Amino acid sequence: MMTWANMQADVAAPTTHEAEIEIKLDARHVNFFYGDFQALQDASLAVQARKITALIGPSGCGKTTFLRIFNRMHDLTPGTRATGEVLLDGHNVLSPDIDVINLRRQVGMLFQRANPFPKSIYDNVAYGPHILGWSKQQISEIVEESLKDTGLWEEVKDRLQRSALNLSGGQQQRLCLARALAVKPEVILMDEPASALDPIATLRIEELMQELKKRYTIVIVTHNMQQSARVSDFTAFMLMNERRAGEVIEFGPTDDIFNRPKDSRTEDYITGRFG
Amino acid sequence: MATTRTLFDQELAELKSGVIRMGSMVEQAIAESMRALVDRNNALAKEVIARDQEVNELHRQLRERAFMIMATQQPVARDLRLIVSFQHMVLELERMGDHAVGIARAALRLNDLPQLKPYIDLPRMAEITESQVHEILGAVIEADQDRARAIAERDDDVDVLYHKIWDELVGFMVQDPANVQRAAILLFLAKDLERIADRVTNIAEDVVFLHTGRIVELS
Repeated sequence: MMTWANMQADVAAPTTHEAEIEIKLDARHVNFFYGDFQALQDASLAVQARKITALIGPSGCGKTTFLRIFNRMHDLTPGTRATGEVLLDGHNVLSPDIDVINLRRQVGMLFQRANPFPKSIYDNVAYGPHILGWSKQQISEIVEESLKDTGLWEEVKDRLQRSALNLSGGQQQRLCLARALAVKPEVILMDEPASALDPIATLRIEELMQELKKRYTIVIVTHNMQQSARVSDFTAFMLMNERRAGEVIEFGPTDDIFNRPKDSRTEDYITGRFG
Repeated sequence: MATTRTLFDQELAELKSGVIRMGSMVEQAIAESMRALVDRNNALAKEVIARDQEVNELHRQLRERAFMIMATQQPVARDLRLIVSFQHMVLELERMGDHAVGIARAALRLNDLPQLKPYIDLPRMAEITESQVHEILGAVIEADQDRARAIAERDDDVDVLYHKIWDELVGFMVQDPANVQRAAILLFLAKDLERIADRVTNIAEDVVFLHTGRIVELS
């Protein structure tokens, strides 16, 4: 007999007109290995342009691994290997002949803990454009624009030459975001960007994300399910399979994942009955 | 997968148990208010009116409990649907209790007057309505949306009887102005029964919502 405990939503999610969809990042059947250990199995995800896509799931399910594949951050870890395809505007970023430096300019990243360089506020944001060889005038303009985009300009415009390490945790995280924006990325990957921040700083980051998604495609890994429900347009739920490899269990509009999940494992996880 | 939210599950179970208890109280109130009319029993009518305070108090407690669970447990998906539905159900039940009081008050006024006509269709209407209330509580307990939909369909039978009673009572009024007062009271009483059946339909919609996450119109 159906009971409250095992009841599942049984109505299909509303469909979106295909003509309206622009896929920015398309991960297809991605497998990932740390040496002999498979950390990700057959993971597919179509990330829509100018939307926020959240990856949720328990620790060790491969969320961060999946995220880091999108801009080949895994290349920095010896003994790793990715198979399958991750298409960025139709080009496979896993291809060996891809320009990884350019890829990371196109696909920026914000980490769990703010990691400003031990330099001035200005130099932190100017670092990427400087490496790319932009003119001083261009750099000056992009520094101001990026700081404005992250809501930091009014807070720091009078102390741009002071050390970035003197900023608060929330400000440092927004500075790192400004640093990522300064090189004009198309996609921003965020790996638990607010997990070390207080609730007010967290809300500022979340509000910022809503602004930024008008121009950028955002993929966020978060352990905070309320955050995922609040900020994202789409949510993917990931879980380790019996071989301890991460899989995408369910992917869809956030409204459906949090209100009418189709898979009982998703429902168990988001309602806190997983463990 | 192991359950890891024992306290939360216990709170939900207590909330559900409170909803069912409130439903039973309202079911009894409706049945007794009609018996007070048919048996011309003023003492019973007064009991129904007095006991409505208990229903109101339980309603208040359940709303507070639901609010507390939402504030502290941050429910989502089926848990959220469950709490939101229960909140709505207790509101409907509280209003049903008010309708039972309406019937009891009508009985008090009618019992002091000569009976306008033998009560035939009103008890039939009440019988269907009472069984709807009883069965919708069963559908809530068993989370049975098919049963809920079937119960809601019986609202049509209540409506047919209501219109029949309406026509008949208006006929009495037209026939003799001396009938107007009693017929008018009986019309209000029939309306109370008809509204109870409508509220059963609303609860049936909640049961469907619990399953599907979609708000449906069953009437």
